[in-house]
Amino acid sequence: MDPATDRDADVAVSVRGLTKSYGTFRALDGIDLQVRRGEVLALLGPNGAGKTTAVEILEGYRARDGGTVSVLGYDPARRDRALRARMGIVLQECAVDPYLTVAEALTQRSYLYGSPRPVDEVVGLVGLEAKAGSRVKVLSGGQQRRLDLGLALIGNPELIFLDEPTTGFDPSARREAWEVVRDLCAEGRTVLLTTHYMDEAQALADSVVVLAGGRVVASGPPDTLGGRDHGVSTVRFVLPDGVSPADLPLPAGLAAEVRAGSVEFTVAEPTAVLHELTRWALDRGEGLVGLSVSRPSLEDVYLQLTGGEDAP
Amino acid sequence: MSAAGGARSGRAGGAVRVPDARVGDVRVALHQVRYEQKAYWRNPMAAIFTFLFPIVFLVVVGTSAGASRVPGYTLRYDQYVVVAMLTFGLIAACYTNLAMTVCTRRETGVLKRMRGTPIAIGSYLAGLIGSVLIVVAILTVLVVAIGMAFYHLHFPYHPGAVLVTLLVGIVTFCSLGLAVTVLVPNADAAPAIVNGLYFPVVFISGVFYPLAQGSVLARIADVFPIFHMIRALVSAFEGGPGSGLRVGDLLVMLAWAVGALMVTSRRFRWEPRRPKA
Repeated sequence: MDPATDRDADVAVSVRGLTKSYGTFRALDGIDLQVRRGEVLALLGPNGAGKTTAVEILEGYRARDGGTVSVLGYDPARRDRALRARMGIVLQECAVDPYLTVAEALTQRSYLYGSPRPVDEVVGLVGLEAKAGSRVKVLSGGQQRRLDLGLALIGNPELIFLDEPTTGFDPSARREAWEVVRDLCAEGRTVLLTTHYMDEAQALADSVVVLAGGRVVASGPPDTLGGRDHGVSTVRFVLPDGVSPADLPLPAGLAAEVRAGSVEFTVAEPTAVLHELTRWALDRGEGLVGLSVSRPSLEDVYLQLTGGEDAP
Repeated sequence: MSAAGGARSGRAGGAVRVPDARVGDVRVALHQVRYEQKAYWRNPMAAIFTFLFPIVFLVVVGTSAGASRVPGYTLRYDQYVVVAMLTFGLIAACYTNLAMTVCTRRETGVLKRMRGTPIAIGSYLAGLIGSVLIVVAILTVLVVAIGMAFYHLHFPYHPGAVLVTLLVGIVTFCSLGLAVTVLVPNADAAPAIVNGLYFPVVFISGVFYPLAQGSVLARIADVFPIFHMIRALVSAFEGGPGSGLRVGDLLVMLAWAVGALMVTSRRFRWEPRRPKA
């Protein structure tokens, strides 16, 4: 593929009918996906779903069996240096020479690129200012991971691959890493990340692709994934003393269950029901204790889509 | 970040950003040498086993070696030991050091990471081997200086032949160091396989004591490159007629180098051997 076909300025990564087998195991069974420039796309899926295989094909590490793949207009299987100069890659394993310091590792890497970012700037970006002069081997796991991210950013890449970037992070380190990804996005860079944290996908991704068994089982913005926005709502409140479920002013056909003293029912459109319920409660002179209305979380949708295997 | 913005909107392909001229690759290789050197001297295992060991052996074996002539050579035993230890040091710096470095980096994913950057494979290898050259140069100067100061070694009668022999040795043992990584299945097995393969050969090749000519051991050692390296190097140090070059020995070494490079080019792995779904 000629790099000049980099015409579709809006699309950074485009994949059609991608297949890959290891022996008789079909790791990728014809997946399609598209990453628009400047967006964060999260690849979700249980272990063994094919996330890493897909990403490593896009990064040029693995050959595909079939399908078409375009990354910034290049076919990654050809391993053009010009493409590698425009990508940043964070793999699952942290891999830095243990005997160099943070600043040395970044400086060494920066020589490989035509227009690298300043080392100090990257050190600050990943929050390693205090460790710039420390050797890699004395860094904690989380700090090494941040250096890994810094190494992926030093070349000033347009497209960044992050394979499970926050696995093993404590909650505050995760928040900080999310901020870095948001900053990258604000600079107009494109990010493709894999994760099995639902909150990470919810917090960062403009779109989500769910893989299971080597197929795309759902894709779309996290808020509407799998019909989340049209899904039924669950209404829950504490059953007032001396009231039986049959006394509640619920429309006919709506089955309310009582569990551990709480009434729970699902309804497609909760506005009218809630109106009736709250008026009934106010007329009785009491509130509805513990009232909650919830839609299915991304996690609910994910578990339903992937059949609940390998729940995170 | 104006640079990123420019690359995104303006340029087609983005080849402009790659330092793809030959000059760029050479410059990258020189930077690699600099950082390989930093990493080498800070790694205690590398510095002790591949640099200090040959020096310590030289002092221990050299001091116990007598001044009698070595049969078949004009050198005295203590002079011979210096040349043999120089060979041992070169093997440690080239074969052992390169093999261990490459195995460690492959198993920890450093090589894989490197393949994701725009570096040319040639620049990366040149960085590794350039660093090895520096170590061999320092080791050579040090061993020869110790030999001249304490073990009656003369400055080589054929310095050119010494240089050529050392270069052929570097090519041979760097090639063998790369080739042996093919046999190493994981990081834990690396020291056992890398050392286990060459240590028996070191012992039968006359590194610690000269071989009795025509013995069974000498005939076995004749197959491997270490004995030939010592004989060629001794010849270059000895005063004698001709250039001091032992072409036959150098050709045996180069044959090993060619075989090793063929294995390397076909079977070299950049990533750990691990089934991955």
